[in-house]
Amino acid sequence: MPRLRDLQEAFAAAVLKGTDSAFSAELVDGRFPGQRRLQVYRNNVFTSLTGALSAVYPVVTRLVGEGFFGYAADGYLRQYPAVSGNLHDVGHAFADFLRYFPAAATLPYLADVARLEWAWHQAFHGAEHAPLDLLTLAAVAAERHSDLRFFLHPTAQLVASDYPILRIWQTNQVDDAGDGQVDLAAGSEQGLVLRPHMTVEILPLSRGEYTLLQCLAAGTSLGTACDMAFGQDPALDLDGVLQKHIRHASLVAFQVDEKK
Amino acid sequence: MSTTPLDGRVAHPIPAQAGIGLRAQHYHEVVETRPATGWFEVHSENYFGDGGPPLSYLERVRRDYPLSLHGVGLSLGTTDPLNLKHLQKLKSLIARFAPGLVSEHLCWSSIGGRYLNDLLPLPYTEEALQHVSQRILQTQDYLQREILIENVSSYLQYRHSTMPEQEFVAEVATRAGCGILLDVNNIYVSAVNHDFDPLAYLRAIPVASVREMHLAGFAVNHYDNGDILIDHHGAPVAQPVWDLYREALRRFGPTPTLIEWDTDIPPLAVLLDEARKADALLERQHAQVA
Repeated sequence: MPRLRDLQEAFAAAVLKGTDSAFSAELVDGRFPGQRRLQVYRNNVFTSLTGALSAVYPVVTRLVGEGFFGYAADGYLRQYPAVSGNLHDVGHAFADFLRYFPAAATLPYLADVARLEWAWHQAFHGAEHAPLDLLTLAAVAAERHSDLRFFLHPTAQLVASDYPILRIWQTNQVDDAGDGQVDLAAGSEQGLVLRPHMTVEILPLSRGEYTLLQCLAAGTSLGTACDMAFGQDPALDLDGVLQKHIRHASLVAFQVDEKK
Repeated sequence: MSTTPLDGRVAHPIPAQAGIGLRAQHYHEVVETRPATGWFEVHSENYFGDGGPPLSYLERVRRDYPLSLHGVGLSLGTTDPLNLKHLQKLKSLIARFAPGLVSEHLCWSSIGGRYLNDLLPLPYTEEALQHVSQRILQTQDYLQREILIENVSSYLQYRHSTMPEQEFVAEVATRAGCGILLDVNNIYVSAVNHDFDPLAYLRAIPVASVREMHLAGFAVNHYDNGDILIDHHGAPVAQPVWDLYREALRRFGPTPTLIEWDTDIPPLAVLLDEARKADALLERQHAQVA
């Protein structure tokens, strides 16, 4: 009689790896052989995990079709078994998996689309935050502006790709009214994913804007962030960009460093 | 409504009426129309996030209805250490929503840190009995409250089990001092899959331990040598399950009863119709008790 731990390890191996010859000998056959009974669990496990993955990655599912998605999910779940009892955690490394998934090599943008969808999923379940206190910000003296450090909304995540992933994402929304065409040669895109209220938003960003937010997210001062951003885009409309991100609640708090 | 000096929210007991599972597809309709149902149940893990629409809707639902938290991922029966991160999330959720009941499954779903995210059966042995009873005691100690344990559907049995499932369930409840969430559909599904008498199952369950019942639909896989029933929660409650439910009410008395529907989720009205059927049987039982 196997110890409980040995039994559980053998069961998991039989489901995940298909090494079940010894394990099915532990099962009552009855009307059905142990193999058939084990197959029910194998189906349940992969169907529910694939369903959970597909719910987080509807655009990837749409781009590759359900059959291929199931094949990719199977490979992913074997390489990255779930490590949480919460199905919402399934899929954290799917973008990394897709990047090196040989069968998806002809779709070089797929991993970046997956990264965007994971950011969307994280933003959906992320923490709330009150909007930025404009009165206090307005009270900061102009000569201290370059010492400001801004904090991004807790749900805010920056995404960038060599491919037009925002347009791919938009075109593959079920309610999209466009013609469904995306020119892959259109080049790189950057965006900010965040959920300021009840709805997740994806804001397209210029290169300079992306660099600015990337610096602010990393905790640099506004002065340093501006230097970096103007290096990318000398014509960046800094006031316009800051106002936009205060309005969209991308920036929710700030502090002013003590003078050195 | 009662109040509490601490956080303005006390647990509303779950009434001996039918309740329904709260699903994302129905959030808007539920808060807008406030349908007539005794209570709502949610999968605890769906509210483990830091924020977002699910928690926001649950706040609104909780204002109008008693709430039960039903866990699907704690993996009580695993021989891994208890997942403290999972338990911490559950404890915070309990503190925030003050549920009338908190339940989990009498099963395991992870081993070696890997989660299969399925409700896997334990062998019914003295070793498993000791192990899982101890784990439930630990869990209740950590949460500082009673939990209910639910019997799961199963598709296989272990050769070395030494007692029938119902005896195992009853003994766990005694040793761990927990309540029982009797899933009537699961009893029926397992009874067909393993050729046992579902009425004998009911008779072995201690009346005083049953705090809640579940009803759901199953699917049928046809094979040459018979059917295997799959507990998929994606169909109306089947007639033999209603019949078994009637027997269960006769034995256990009027008990809070949940209509579960987790895949191919139909319009809210369909769930409410199923709940009305359960309520009709509950009322008949109430009348007989009175």
